[in-house]
Amino acid sequence: MEESTSPDCKLGILETLDGEAIQEIIESYNGFCATAKSLLNGAGDLSVGTEFVSYVHSLCNHGLQSLVRDHFLRALEETFEKVGVLKFWQHFDAYSKGSCQEKNKPLNYDDEVHQVLCKALEEICSEKQYQEKCLFMLVHAIQSYKEYPLEGKHVSDSERVHLFAKYQLMVSSVLMASLPPHFPEMLYWYFKGRLEELSIIMDGELEDKNESQDKDDMDLDEKGKQRIGEMDIDESYNNGKFSEKSKLVKQIGKVVRDLRSLGFTSMTENAYASAIFSLLKSKVHNLAGDDYRSSVLESIKAWIQVVPLQFLNALLAYLGEAVSYESPTTGLKSPLASRPSSCYPGIDTPSEGLIRWQLRLEYFAYETLQDLRIAKLFEIIVDYPESSPAIEDLKQCLEYTGQHSKLVESFISALKYRLLTAGASTNDILHQYVSTIKALRTIDPTGVFLETVGEPIRDYLRGRKDTIKCIVTMLTDGTGGNPNGSGSTGDSLLEELNRDEENQENIGVDDDFNIDDKQAWINAARWEPDPVEADPLKGSRNRRKVDILGMMVGIIGSKDQLVNEYRVMLAEKLLNKSDYEIDSEIRTLELLKIHFGESSMQRCEIMLNDLIDSKRTNANIKATIAKQSQAGSDLRENEISLDILDSTIISSNFWPPMQDEALIVPGPVDQLLSDYAKRFNEIKTPRKLLWKKNLGTVKLELQFDDRTVQFAVAPIHAAIIMQFQDQTSWTSKSLAAAIGVPVDVMNRRINFWISKGILAESGGTDSNDHLYTLVEGLVDSSKNGGNSGSCEELLLGDEEGERSVASVEDQIRNEMTVYEKFILGMLTNFGSMALDRIHNTLKMFCVADPPYDKSLQQLQSFLSGLVSEEKLELRDGMYFLKK
Amino acid sequence: MATVNGYQGNTTVAAPPTGTAAKQPVNTVKTVDTQSVLKRLQSELMALMMSGDSGISAFPEEDNIFCWKGTIHGSKDTVFEGTEYKLSLSFPNDYPFKPPKVKFETGCFHPNVDVYGNICLDILQDKWSSAYDVRTILLSIQSLLGEPNISSPLNSQAAQLWCNQEEYRKMVEKLYKPPSA
Repeated sequence: MEESTSPDCKLGILETLDGEAIQEIIESYNGFCATAKSLLNGAGDLSVGTEFVSYVHSLCNHGLQSLVRDHFLRALEETFEKVGVLKFWQHFDAYSKGSCQEKNKPLNYDDEVHQVLCKALEEICSEKQYQEKCLFMLVHAIQSYKEYPLEGKHVSDSERVHLFAKYQLMVSSVLMASLPPHFPEMLYWYFKGRLEELSIIMDGELEDKNESQDKDDMDLDEKGKQRIGEMDIDESYNNGKFSEKSKLVKQIGKVVRDLRSLGFTSMTENAYASAIFSLLKSKVHNLAGDDYRSSVLESIKAWIQVVPLQFLNALLAYLGEAVSYESPTTGLKSPLASRPSSCYPGIDTPSEGLIRWQLRLEYFAYETLQDLRIAKLFEIIVDYPESSPAIEDLKQCLEYTGQHSKLVESFISALKYRLLTAGASTNDILHQYVSTIKALRTIDPTGVFLETVGEPIRDYLRGRKDTIKCIVTMLTDGTGGNPNGSGSTGDSLLEELNRDEENQENIGVDDDFNIDDKQAWINAARWEPDPVEADPLKGSRNRRKVDILGMMVGIIGSKDQLVNEYRVMLAEKLLNKSDYEIDSEIRTLELLKIHFGESSMQRCEIMLNDLIDSKRTNANIKATIAKQSQAGSDLRENEISLDILDSTIISSNFWPPMQDEALIVPGPVDQLLSDYAKRFNEIKTPRKLLWKKNLGTVKLELQFDDRTVQFAVAPIHAAIIMQFQDQTSWTSKSLAAAIGVPVDVMNRRINFWISKGILAESGGTDSNDHLYTLVEGLVDSSKNGGNSGSCEELLLGDEEGERSVASVEDQIRNEMTVYEKFILGMLTNFGSMALDRIHNTLKMFCVADPPYDKSLQQLQSFLSGLVSEEKLELRDGMYFLKK
Repeated sequence: MATVNGYQGNTTVAAPPTGTAAKQPVNTVKTVDTQSVLKRLQSELMALMMSGDSGISAFPEEDNIFCWKGTIHGSKDTVFEGTEYKLSLSFPNDYPFKPPKVKFETGCFHPNVDVYGNICLDILQDKWSSAYDVRTILLSIQSLLGEPNISSPLNSQAAQLWCNQEEYRKMVEKLYKPPSA
């Protein structure tokens, strides 16, 4: 037995032993075994202690120290395994199977776990403590034996250290070896429960403190007193809660210490770390939620200071790791102490571990919030101006975590899924794009990520036909100039224009404050020379502000297209004006000029000047005619005074092409127009006035026997109704001939009067030749109600959205017919050509007025249009004329 | 087109627009910059493309606006009806003060066209005026097909045959090789 238990015994010694000595050894050993057993099982009974010591001494006499140690440790292990461990795990057996299901009801589970864990820990720890006592006795015995020959205390000390280390190792390995798999999870739930409890207590405390601080902040005169006030409050207000809290912390600390002493150090740390993180996560989710109108980052940080850090601090302090235990008032943790910590020099020295924890927690909080916000970035940007606090939060998070690419990826996929679909209107997409630009500009002033994110939007918008139109509308609509206009809030590009201008006035005031050194460095590194056309007086800072417009133009590809569309829209607007009020247009144009350069807006400027000139010329012509008519005063019966005529004189070279439609205006009006033109010619020789008779607005009054009705209509409508002045019924053919328009056009236009109840339509002899009759009596009195006597109706604009200016699409179609002729021409002479040869040839030779500026893709789609019209054939990548 | 007969009869020519007005100032200018030649050719091309005349067409070759390919369809009710002839037009650097050199690329059995494709047409030689342009040249050649100048033929066989239109038509059909694209 000796040999087996202590193989390293010196066998030589055994041989030198005589029978007596052997007898003594055997006796001592048996005694030792018995006493050890009774000692270990004695449950607190140390009566056999002296006996035990003497046996140990005697065995030691025979040089059997190692035997004693090994046997005792073995005995300890056996007992511990049998008594402690088994019992300990039995406590948790109930949870082994159910733990998964019970996740659903963590509340009950928590409480139970809490109780069971505490009880089990207490038991096993007392067991362990008892064993340690026994072990100490052994140490003592060995020590006391050793003290005779050797006086050095350090030797015996090392003996103790060695034994206890061995024991500790034994304990933890025994426990680990028999660890049930659900135990770590239980620990996690335990800490989570405790932390939540603590968090609730702390929240209450925090509120109290905030209240008290608010109270203190009120008396701003007594700044010095403020701190004292806080101290008072901490003592008086929170005494109850404080003790509750410290009790809780102590309790947790005890559990942690017990677990540590059982060798579960890392498992415990994992458990409470993950508990803290999950609590933090749910806290962040709670605080952040779906409300983007307030910043949550600060409150999350404050919460980290108050709850988890407080907890950790207390825990570390309890475990004796923190340098000093700090009271919540003076420590870093209190939000009240977040004022410059230099006020309390020396006190604020949290342990390194704590700082590390703080950094870990904050990073985790940043990351969680960032993930949360990124996932909802689309919604956040939808209500952008309101959600800017959330954007600001996200910005800070990203600065900390640097995970911009995550944002880009997730946002792009959200865009593709939610915005860039056929169901979204171009306007919405554009507004979202503008908001995106604004929001991302906040997050990333360098615009690198914006570039990536904007790419899919731009690509998509390029595929939409009405993009340019929408952009131009966004540019021109809005409240600029006239405050009673109904511009949409916030996202009108016109406002953007205006803002830029305002910013130019107080140049860079806000910028300089916002730029920190890092940003300044980035700016410096990204510096680019201003474009040649930039005004050196304005400086490059303004150019950065042009961003939004620049990116809008970037969608279209070239500013020329945008300017062209704007020109068409402006022309439409100007032609519809009956007064010469163009202040708001002038203002918009001036703003646009700042962005797109004087030269590109030149035509628009000429258009506006035309209107100004028109006003003057108009007045001039009227004045001279008035003089003449006073002198002559031989007005014919039928003549209409020139006063009722206002003209808009345009320099047609600079205006977009006009819709041209022949129209024969009634004689007197025609006379009036030519008189006017004559006067113009006299004043402005050699220039001549050519009327666009189909354009303009006619205000007229229809007098019936029983009523008068006023209208503002297009000239063609006026021409139609005027024909009924002398002849009350017309067939459509003869009426069309009288006013000089095709029958179908006339039939379409006359519907206006029919819908107003002025004319009536009846099928004539010929089914294609309708008969229109003037409705003299008030047939539709029922429709108009009682006020029909002098019903006044003003109707500007027109029913079927007719336009005075050829739209950009029409212009493009016209351009394309030119290209078609060129393509047919070259194919006639070269037989067959490949796509890129056609493209190159067009580029080279089609240089006249609309120079060929289409892309290869545009050309290809145009050519395939021609193929489907059977004008061309496509074989093996070559285009042929269809014969 | 080195050797062309000196004199041509007065072939009917599509009326040159405003011929006399343009003639006088033109001769005084001797050195013309390429830029204005380019411009002139470009605007001629544009005018030709937009005119939409049927049966005549021309277009500059790939990268040289001084070299054009032309196409002429034989007019209706002539022996050349249904045929298509390719031409090459090569413009001198002092165009339009000098006429372009025009040749048939497709073989053409015609009294005023030789086997090499050289054309005998007065407006392409001494009757040239800067008021002519590609369009009028092509129209003139087209009408030359139907109304040859028999008195000074380049192709005497064709000139002799001309009086017999039926035979001539057969000859044209026999010799005609449609231009390969």
